[in-house]
Amino acid sequence: MAKTIALTVNGKPCSGEVESRTLLAHFLRDTLRLTGTHLGCVVGRCGACTVLWNGTAVKSCMVFAVQAAGDEIVTVEGLAQDKRLHPLQEAFWQNDAVECGYCTPGMLMSAYGLLKKVKDPTEEQIKKAISGNLCRCTGYLNIVAAIKEAAANFAG
Amino acid sequence: MDFPINPPIGDRVRRKETLRFVTGTGRYVDDLLPPGTLHAAFVRSSCAHARINGIDVEAARAMPGVRAVFTGKDVAQKLKPLRVGGSPLLRQIKLYPLAVDKIRYFGEPLAVVVADNSYLAEDAVEVVSVDFERLPPVVDPEAAMEPGAPCIHEEVGSNIVYKYHFTTDGIDKVFQDADVVIRERIRSHRITACPIEPRAYLAHYNQDEDSLTMWSATANPHSLRTRIAEILSFPEGKVRVIAPDVGGSFGVKIQTYQEELLLPFLSRELGRPIKWCETRVEHMRNGRHGRDQIHYIEMALRKDGTMLAIKDKIIADMGSTYTVDHSIMASALYVPGVYQIQNYAVDAFGVATNKTTHGSLRGIGKADASYILERLVDIAARELKLDPIDIRMKNFIPAEAFPYRNVTGALYDSGQYHLCMQRAAERAGYEKLRKEQAELRGKGIYRGIGVALVMEPTSSSRIHATGGYASCRMSIDPSGAATVFSSMGEQGQGHETTIAQIVASQTGIPFEKITVIHGDTLPTPYGFGTGSSRSSVVLMPSAWVAAKKMRDKLLGIAARQLAVVPEKLQIGDSKVFSSDNPNRSITLAEIIRTAYGAIHLLPENMEPGLETTGYFINPNIDCEPDEKGRMNTFSSYPYAAIVAVVDVDIETGFIKIVRYCTVHDCGNMINPQIVDTQQQGSIVQGIGAALYEELRYDEDGQLLTSTFMDYRLPSVEEVPALELEHIITPNPFTPLGAKGAGETGMLGPPPALCNAVEDALSPFGVKIRQTPLTPERILDLIEKAKVSKSTHG
Repeated sequence: MAKTIALTVNGKPCSGEVESRTLLAHFLRDTLRLTGTHLGCVVGRCGACTVLWNGTAVKSCMVFAVQAAGDEIVTVEGLAQDKRLHPLQEAFWQNDAVECGYCTPGMLMSAYGLLKKVKDPTEEQIKKAISGNLCRCTGYLNIVAAIKEAAANFAG
Repeated sequence: MDFPINPPIGDRVRRKETLRFVTGTGRYVDDLLPPGTLHAAFVRSSCAHARINGIDVEAARAMPGVRAVFTGKDVAQKLKPLRVGGSPLLRQIKLYPLAVDKIRYFGEPLAVVVADNSYLAEDAVEVVSVDFERLPPVVDPEAAMEPGAPCIHEEVGSNIVYKYHFTTDGIDKVFQDADVVIRERIRSHRITACPIEPRAYLAHYNQDEDSLTMWSATANPHSLRTRIAEILSFPEGKVRVIAPDVGGSFGVKIQTYQEELLLPFLSRELGRPIKWCETRVEHMRNGRHGRDQIHYIEMALRKDGTMLAIKDKIIADMGSTYTVDHSIMASALYVPGVYQIQNYAVDAFGVATNKTTHGSLRGIGKADASYILERLVDIAARELKLDPIDIRMKNFIPAEAFPYRNVTGALYDSGQYHLCMQRAAERAGYEKLRKEQAELRGKGIYRGIGVALVMEPTSSSRIHATGGYASCRMSIDPSGAATVFSSMGEQGQGHETTIAQIVASQTGIPFEKITVIHGDTLPTPYGFGTGSSRSSVVLMPSAWVAAKKMRDKLLGIAARQLAVVPEKLQIGDSKVFSSDNPNRSITLAEIIRTAYGAIHLLPENMEPGLETTGYFINPNIDCEPDEKGRMNTFSSYPYAAIVAVVDVDIETGFIKIVRYCTVHDCGNMINPQIVDTQQQGSIVQGIGAALYEELRYDEDGQLLTSTFMDYRLPSVEEVPALELEHIITPNPFTPLGAKGAGETGMLGPPPALCNAVEDALSPFGVKIRQTPLTPERILDLIEKAKVSKSTHG
């Protein structure tokens, strides 16, 4: 059954028609055309589809769009403000934490979710935060370094 | 060569392409959605081997939103069969985009549904019923070779679909006279590449123009265009293939797939854009698999550890609908590896089984060879009570012997194996590690030290497969910005940056003003896929050639205006100036204006405009076997030495990588940052292969590992600190001195970690002949070794 939902995405009110079975990831990508959120496994393991749902990093392939009705979602497109890169984006660039770029939005959102909650995370906390995000290109070391660097430059 | 290699070549420039990836504005195939797009989904086989009696699609046709359903029989009438590649040694089979009469592996595409969205297409797939008659599945490649085994391809008449034999004279005598002969059966297990972006295709047939555009997550756009034109009998000039951003390949996206060739057909039939993005489960079942070779290998040695000869029998599991054979040859030619071995014999068999098709995967064939060899050398060292570094040092090809012709005819470009191994040992503090190991054993800690030196032949050219060249076309526009059109697509390698570094270095155009276009067959010159680490061996030199031609043109224009011969001119600071008198100069902007707008000032016979094309032919290649069957099918030979340290918990079987020190030689580095990141990712993929990842089949040919829950990729928590170092021995055959940097990393962990674990468990006498080294397998090995000790000792 199709149903219209309204929610806030990247600070803006949005609405769209969804089936009860429509995944949040598909709603963001196909209806709102926010294609920065990627799909890599659709069983909640690869983390490429990670977004913030009411401030917490979640895998948007594991959420039905209707569950997020009325809620607040932030996607990778919402990270940069006023065309200025977020410190995480700067740090990923500076530390060569990206190769093919497919896992990158999910990595950034998992890291963003961490930094929103923990100001000065330890390496263990960083690793735990991105342990649900798979990257096949970089071997993760530069990603961890980037998140450490961004944490130092992130004021909230 | 006589051409300067200036900055920014060699600088750790940050990558141009990264900006769009961190902002979520990269464009992958699945991000595209032209108006009117329909979505495909596939009906797939639920068993591994069967005869198809019929497929009932009527119920599916009646489902909501369904626009069309096609079976294998439907498409076989309208399409030519796929062209199977490979060498003349490979037995040819007939393949269509969908299975026609027979099911040959679990998950094979049998029919396709096209519907208004992917949910509806999947719904309709569920109601297609396939009437099939099971045939006995052939899963074990050794059983498949037996006379009387059920035959997978009746037209071939045997499951042995490829045979290769090579031997030097008098090898049996060498074995008879040897002090020691080591004999082993070692298997490299089946794994797959698993880029995080699965395969994705979007085909759009434009009725008004009678043209076809195909967006594909391919690593091989030009070859795909040729194949689409062939299978559809469609003019190739009217086919455009675009590989937009591609989310990783590691070999798996370089092949052309059945589904990939079907999409253009569907779009032409229905007159609408058709999209298909595979699920991860489909990727595990249908994406190409790699490794999976059994080696019966023997090495003859003197007591002092001198290696005299190797005999090998290779059984390579090709899976079912095979299309290439280069993995086998890459293994067979390179088993002697980095050692001075003059006596070698190999019998290699490619065997069809009812498994997913075997194909390219980072380190294809070469990874199997180096793994088996580096394991065998360690086993020999243990048998002869020699230190594993000493036995290697005793037998390495010496630096002064390069370029070195190995026993199978391969010509290794350059190398310093002794130095590389020595550096790795020093870096790791090998002597100290051995002392610590002895102390820790006293405390019940099972620490192991594993060494390996792996060599990765790169930039293959089999005339039948890759054509062996790359090309770049470049232009400088009147505004002074440059655009480079590259023949190879990229899937994370950073070509937009490295090509720009080369062009900036040679032409003086600022790095920021250089744009690199790739992956689109319309503007880019023809070329072959991104694989075999060939970007830095052939593509970058082709950019260098185009840039050199451009430089010559810029200098030629300046020479006339400054009345100075080009040989006396230099480029720098946006100017061309005389080496003798730097004040005598002309700006690049003025030269560019001349080329476009003041052509009366051009030197005689010079064409207007600023556009050049560079081709670079893969150097150091000899594809034709000589009278003894020797040949050289790879161009360059990077390598790495590894010292790995592990602790094995004998209660849980869990392996902890304590240290991973590696020294790598890929020749000159165009961008050392990009090389380091490639290395790290490549090593971690190798750790996955050694410890976690395995594609397992049951006896019916069902794949048991088809999600990320049961096929375990390393996550950040499995990655140890990596200690990386480089030595540089420039490749003498390429103008940039590079050898390729994408794959060597992945070759290291399987032998180095297996050697380390076997070393750790040497008090039990554990022998590792199967991988991956899962805790379950380790515990089992310890248990068996204990039982065997109590029985025999």
